[in-house]
Amino acid sequence: MTIKNLTKRYETGVGVEGLNLEIRDGEFFILLGPSGCGKSTTLLCVAGLLRPNSGEIWLGDKLVTSVERDIYVTPQKRGVAMVFQDYALYPHMTAFGNIAFPLQVSGKSKPEVETRVRKAAESLGISQLLDRKPKQLSGGQRQRVALGRAIVREPEVFLMDEPLANLDAKLRVHMRAELKNLHQKLGTTTLYVTHDQVEAMSVGDRIAIQKDGILQQVGTPEDVYDRPRNMFVGGFIGSPAMNMLEGNLVKKDGNVEVDLGISAFELPNRTKEAVKEAKRSEVVLGVRPEHTTITKHQKNAIEANVSFVELIGRELHVHLTAREEPLVAIAEPTERLEVGQQVWLAFDKSKIHIFDKETEEALI
Amino acid sequence: MTFPKPERITLYILLAFFIFTSVLPLWTCIMTSIKTAQDVIYTMPLEPPSSPTLDPMMQAFDIMKRPLLNSFAFTIFATILSCTLGSTNGYILAKIRFRGSEVVFLLLAIGIFIPYQTVLIPLVMTISKLGLYNTIQGLILTHTAYGIPICTLLFRSYYEDIPESLMRAAKTDGAGTWTTFRRIVLPLSSPMFAVAGVFQFTSIWNDFLFGLVLARGTDALPASVALANLKGTTTAFWNVQMAGAWWYALPVVIIYLILGKYLIQGYMAGAIKG
Repeated sequence: MTIKNLTKRYETGVGVEGLNLEIRDGEFFILLGPSGCGKSTTLLCVAGLLRPNSGEIWLGDKLVTSVERDIYVTPQKRGVAMVFQDYALYPHMTAFGNIAFPLQVSGKSKPEVETRVRKAAESLGISQLLDRKPKQLSGGQRQRVALGRAIVREPEVFLMDEPLANLDAKLRVHMRAELKNLHQKLGTTTLYVTHDQVEAMSVGDRIAIQKDGILQQVGTPEDVYDRPRNMFVGGFIGSPAMNMLEGNLVKKDGNVEVDLGISAFELPNRTKEAVKEAKRSEVVLGVRPEHTTITKHQKNAIEANVSFVELIGRELHVHLTAREEPLVAIAEPTERLEVGQQVWLAFDKSKIHIFDKETEEALI
Repeated sequence: MTFPKPERITLYILLAFFIFTSVLPLWTCIMTSIKTAQDVIYTMPLEPPSSPTLDPMMQAFDIMKRPLLNSFAFTIFATILSCTLGSTNGYILAKIRFRGSEVVFLLLAIGIFIPYQTVLIPLVMTISKLGLYNTIQGLILTHTAYGIPICTLLFRSYYEDIPESLMRAAKTDGAGTWTTFRRIVLPLSSPMFAVAGVFQFTSIWNDFLFGLVLARGTDALPASVALANLKGTTTAFWNVQMAGAWWYALPVVIIYLILGKYLIQGYMAGAIKG
């Protein structure tokens, strides 16, 4: 699937601006971003439910949308199946009727419909629920019926619009794994929209992060986590969020330091070269909580005060304040810390990120 | 046993009074319709008859049966037609927006507020030109046309509440505009069909003016006009008139009894989502 230069503007503002994406065959591809970032707009354009203002969409080697060439294939003829956040099950039909609907509409014979619906239901473990109406089903069961309606058609592409957002936390984690399994079994190219970065990281082969209609970064979960291209991606991916500290680059005796106001942080060798070229000296130092440790050494560390402590089972989230800015560090659950206590924070040198304060682009 | 509070007692007295005043005419009507001509003169209107009889009922039925059949014919057809067209229009206007659909809707909505009296002369002329004067078909056409705006309005607002994702799901599932309407939208419309149906049935059945100007004699004469004709020219047979009123009211009462529960559902459907 290829999206070229896709732009969709609404009267209220931009939906998507100049989006270019190449999605490989069989890939589980995630569109991630906060609400209003244009990810759902992109999905609706691919489904053919929205006409973009410009750009092209290719499904395989079939051009389905091209504003410039005046091509627009209706959603009915695109061979895509979509799963909606509210499931969009037909309330007057049984689960069987819902799953069978796309097949019946395309004029499949009764026995064929029957076999294919049964097969789809079996693979989702909902065979015993086929006689029930949507309102007699739980959220998770409805979700499965909606998935059944999508897979029964054996489409070329699955489009999923926040399919897990309406489920409770525990079920969501469970369905996440099931979706991943299903994808591995079917191998169908999937375009999946979510605002939940944990979901994106756990199921996606690759992730595209959008903000205000503009693509920020595309990459594998490791890519976007370890090498965020800008401050937005750095802050959006990961929970608790990346710590960000403003500072100034200072070049001294061939070394480069980030002056954080209260203390200076010496940069590791690998990053010196990259940073040396930087034109501006105002930067933001980003470091993830798991690479922030509480230490007794004062060298290359910054001073902070404990604001509060959260015990999350296997780890301790320590919320701190340094220079009146909030920071989070992850510590062992056995660590004893008092509120208001003064500590020193050390950063894992190999894991830090430096962003240009002005452009918010990553320097390293 | 606790004695009810004074507010309660006042409430009950008030309610009893209202029931009494609203039931009074009905009571008079029933009593009069089973009285002989003498009893009508010799007993008070509220009094029960001294010798009850079903003769006025029979007599009224004899006169009313053809007009009642006429009324049934055009009311049922016009109700079905106006509801069907209203739901189709409502679907298109609510879910398949097109250029100028708002204007079309506005023009249709204006139709609701056109008083009957203003169109009487052109209406009679048009219906005569079509060769439909004094025919059931003429009445069906007129009532259907007059019912389309209100039915469109009712169905449109009902369809506005059908989630957009359902329409999108149907589209991606491969259903076209009409398949979606037939397989998804129509089956979900039954509460609204009950509401619009009862509304249309009652207003068409109760219509007097169109019936009066579009029919004469017996061929297409509606029951509403026949009922008015019962009053006679020189003498007033009150008992027969009251009996006729009962025959005339019966179908509407039955419709309400059958569809009443859907009516409440339909009215509530717009109020509470989900």
